[in-house]
Amino acid sequence: MLLDFALPAHDRKLIPEGRLSGPMPWVIAIMLFLTLLVAAIGLSLVDAVQKGGADLAQRATLQIIEPDPVARATQKVEISRMLRNVAGISKVEPVPEGEVRNLLKPWLGNDVIDSDIPVPALIDIRFKNAPDQATLTSLKKRLKTIAPKIRLDSHSSWMAPFFQLMSSLIYLAVAIFILLLIATSAVVILAVRSTLNTHRTTIEIMHMMGGTDLQAARLFQRRVALDALLGGSAGFGAAAAVILALGGRIAAVEPGLLAGATLPVYGWVALATIPLAVTGLAMLMARWTVVSALKKML
Amino acid sequence: MQSVVEFDNVGLRYGTGAETLTDLSFTLYPGSFYFLTGASGAGKTSLLKLLYLAHRPSRGSIRMFGHDAITLPRDRLPGFRRRIGVVFQDFRLVQHLSTFDNIALPLRIAGIQEKDLINPVTEMLDWIGLTERADARPATLSGGEQQRVAIARAVIGRPEMLVADEPTGNVDPEMARRLLQLFEALNRLGTTVIVATHDIHLLQEIDGAQMMRLDKGRLSDPTGSLRHPPRPLVLRN
Ligand SMILES: Nc1ncnc2c1ncn2[C@@H]1O[C@H](COP(=O)(O)OP(=O)(O)O)[C@@H](O)[C@H]1O
Ligand SMILES: [Mg+2]
Repeated sequence: MLLDFALPAHDRKLIPEGRLSGPMPWVIAIMLFLTLLVAAIGLSLVDAVQKGGADLAQRATLQIIEPDPVARATQKVEISRMLRNVAGISKVEPVPEGEVRNLLKPWLGNDVIDSDIPVPALIDIRFKNAPDQATLTSLKKRLKTIAPKIRLDSHSSWMAPFFQLMSSLIYLAVAIFILLLIATSAVVILAVRSTLNTHRTTIEIMHMMGGTDLQAARLFQRRVALDALLGGSAGFGAAAAVILALGGRIAAVEPGLLAGATLPVYGWVALATIPLAVTGLAMLMARWTVVSALKKML
Repeated sequence: MQSVVEFDNVGLRYGTGAETLTDLSFTLYPGSFYFLTGASGAGKTSLLKLLYLAHRPSRGSIRMFGHDAITLPRDRLPGFRRRIGVVFQDFRLVQHLSTFDNIALPLRIAGIQEKDLINPVTEMLDWIGLTERADARPATLSGGEQQRVAIARAVIGRPEMLVADEPTGNVDPEMARRLLQLFEALNRLGTTVIVATHDIHLLQEIDGAQMMRLDKGRLSDPTGSLRHPPRPLVLRN
């Protein structure tokens, strides 16, 4: 049915060789599989960085490193009250001491935590907009008037190396993607040329019988498009299966840094256009190759 | 009478060598039958290539079907080629097509519907005696059989002009006579036929055929009968 649509019986009798006889659909399938995978990884990383980065940039944690438990408790209350009155801060969440001890348990061990060792008081802060360094510094200065021993860390600052790694990976993915697209185009061009060579005498005969350049081009265009579409669909199917399976694995991981790393809907749309674009490229190449070969004949 | 082809001082040179065809001036008329003779290497195939628009001459002028064939834009050539049937000296059958599909090729190129080409192709297969080999590929046919397919393909579209290069070189005298009858029948329907041959016996087969003789690239009797309209075998109304 698909074959009928792409190559009407009429045309198939002019160049009837089996469509899948050549390696072109397979090579295109493999190339597109790799291209789509690297594109999916790149898109997921971009999405994760955007979501996670925006979220993290709005958050900061304040530590009160005051060894005297009484002073620490007072400072915690006072600082919280003050922070709630600062414009630009949307949420202030003092972390209960029990929770802080729980957080530290894996690092310090039960014995230590259960003793009277002082642990810092923590306050989670969420800004309305991601604060810049100056805002943080001036805020810190004001807070020091209440509690001299504090640390204020924006989450984005301690996540910076992670995001730098992520953006390096994104650049790498883009580079690989472009290289693969170039290689795929080269494969398409070579395949079209070899198909043309196989059928050169047929084309010449058709030409001498009054076949037009466009008639010949159309035959090849359709054949090549069909090959590219078949290869592209196979590659897309395989890549989609891998992406979905990986997505399932990522979802199974404890929510955390990777939680955002799934392919967004626009990503799927972008991926689907790649096989179509390659098919379009293949058709254009076929047309151009055939027409320029025929132009050399009278 | 309107001419089908008019050559005026035509010369053809391949590359930079001497002229292969020199000072050709003649006129071919509709409904006539021409034999083109001459020794091997005299330039018969070259002249036919000019006739079936595979080459442009190096000089001179050619009019075909009332148009200047030299200045004809390239995109109008297919339309002219469809009016010309060609039997190539080396057949040029499409190797991966069956006998049937090879013969049907000109009709398919011209855009004839499948249902409309089955009858004529079947009749043609019958005429050349290859009904049983309708599905055979050219490689499995004998030389003579391939030649018959090539001829069938050239005449199937009832061209206005038929150009045949040594079309009976590979068949026995009986089949040669039969194929000539095919040409003659086509000629009676109004097709101008040009047959290149060095087979003298063929020349007697067609009543009223004109003779063109090439000698080292020149028409040996340029002032002969070719200068005058021949007695047409069948006049078009
Ligand atoms: N494509 C070509 N390039 C160069 N020389 C050619 C070509 N075709 C034919 N010739 C030369 O032109 C001359 C005439 O050849 P041809 O027309 O084939 O003669 P014929 O068909 O009468 O045997 C020969 O000397 C041949 O070598
Ligand atoms: Mg010859």
